[in-house]
Amino acid sequence: MSWRGHLIVGLLSLAIAVALPFVFNINYLVTQVTLAFIYGTVVTQWNLVYGVAGIFSLAQMALFAVGAYAAAMLGFYFGWSLWIAMPVAALITVVVSVLIGLACLRLRGPYVALLTLAIAQVLYLVIVNDTDCYTTEGSGCLPFFGGVRGLTRFGELGFREWLGEDWRLGNYFVALALLALALIFSAVIMRGPLGLAFRALRDNPGLARSRGISRFKYQIWVFALSAFFTGLAGAFYAANYESIGPTVFSFSLLLFLIAMMTVGGIGTLWGPLLGAILLMGTDEVLRDYQEWRDIGLGLLLVFFVILLPQGLVGLINWRRERVD
Amino acid sequence: MTQTAAGQPLLEVTAVTKSFGALVAVNGLSFNLNEGEVLGIGGPNGAGKTTLFEVISGLSPATSGSVRFAGEDITRLSAEAICHAGIARTFQLNAAFDSLSVRENVEVAAQFGRANRAVPGLRLDRCTRASVDAALEITGLIERQRRIAAKLPVIDRKLLMIAGALATEPRLVLMDEPVGGLTPGETDRIVHLVERLRAEGRSIIMIEHVMRFLVQLSDRVLILHHGEKIYEGVPRGLVQDAQVVDVFLGQGASRRLASYLEGRA
Repeated sequence: MSWRGHLIVGLLSLAIAVALPFVFNINYLVTQVTLAFIYGTVVTQWNLVYGVAGIFSLAQMALFAVGAYAAAMLGFYFGWSLWIAMPVAALITVVVSVLIGLACLRLRGPYVALLTLAIAQVLYLVIVNDTDCYTTEGSGCLPFFGGVRGLTRFGELGFREWLGEDWRLGNYFVALALLALALIFSAVIMRGPLGLAFRALRDNPGLARSRGISRFKYQIWVFALSAFFTGLAGAFYAANYESIGPTVFSFSLLLFLIAMMTVGGIGTLWGPLLGAILLMGTDEVLRDYQEWRDIGLGLLLVFFVILLPQGLVGLINWRRERVD
Repeated sequence: MTQTAAGQPLLEVTAVTKSFGALVAVNGLSFNLNEGEVLGIGGPNGAGKTTLFEVISGLSPATSGSVRFAGEDITRLSAEAICHAGIARTFQLNAAFDSLSVRENVEVAAQFGRANRAVPGLRLDRCTRASVDAALEITGLIERQRRIAAKLPVIDRKLLMIAGALATEPRLVLMDEPVGGLTPGETDRIVHLVERLRAEGRSIIMIEHVMRFLVQLSDRVLILHHGEKIYEGVPRGLVQDAQVVDVFLGQGASRRLASYLEGRA
């Protein structure tokens, strides 16, 4: 698709997203779509690592958690306004992501997945196994990272004061702005020289090196760049729910987001977002059958990996080529 | 870019050995290449020809010995640094960035291969685009620049590798079997291309099993056997060398090659 095509699709989607809460002013819908925007932001960035650069990293949810915890802790312990804590948390996430990228440099393929999953598990275990009281102010014993219960009362975005009953709309539009910026950010990267380098390394690392691309340098770039909006999304997630707990590390959430990318189309600009909307919708419909959710997601993944490895966007492109 | 001093070879390979455990793929090999020269390398399968390219291009550094390029020691440089120094190579297996278009494949080389970039930038500059256009033009791929590399026929994949190598604006091009698996008609296209590059004064080292191709285009020929040099000299000397005929050409091929050389003289 040309830049113009992307711009038209983008503006149309934006118009729909802006109109949605005014057409259907239902609290539940607004909250769930806000969450879809947050996940959409995460998968558009994860897609840069996994889809564009072809590095099978599962660290993205851990980075999301780092952003969320960093913002919450800056608010909780230092009393920072979340509006300042969120971008700082995003930068902290970038630093953590670069460290993870360095750790993965010598690994390939599934070994990257194993190491990044292990890192996420270590973070999770550190948080839930810490039962020492770091502070006893307020609601009693609280471990440094909030332990199993997580952290609450670290501030809010202030929309209640400003918009009254419609405070959810404030969060909704912040999430929409976050998603739009994240999408533009990944479009610029994918279409620019960095995208070329990432795709070259993904397709043929040996040839890429012989054409002057340093794997070290560009792997660090992709880990750094993809982390900013992931951390910001995590920070906003904490701000949105005014609480954060270790459940963000759950494997089923990780699987849910991978499924979004796979269903939509790995490595494409719109695929992950399309997948996010579709799976959030499906999840909503199947809300009464929660115990089947992981199995259902697994089957969906198998179906797409085998029959539609290019995802829905791949299917659309294929149809278009046939029509042409 | 540093200019080589007069009389100094562009590439100096000195006593290079490459071993994989007990297997010695290249054994104490030395040779030079002058600026503007075309050197052909032949030899039976497993002679260490491709391994030699891996060593020179830095993908698999030498176990011992040294490689100097334009007066600088490049033996231990990384593959990307050697590319930036001015050596570009093609691969025996038709390597490409399969999901990228022909143009994008060449853009990768022009953007990242010409010099080391501190910051990747947000778009390709004019210099890069000009380099891409020139490489697509000379290889004749310009009309197929929107095609996806994975869907190209073998000849176009060979041309694409050469286009990529040229887009890095190299001083030395290493070609690994540029006509392997091609039809005679397709081979002629590569012959014309190499002749053109040669006329431009480019320095080239090429590995090829198709001996007619090799003797037709090379100023000098090197024959390897078990990682060692068994012949180095002008192409027409090949058919008179007993060892080359014995281990590589065989009597029949040697006679045909001799009559081919006669025909060209």
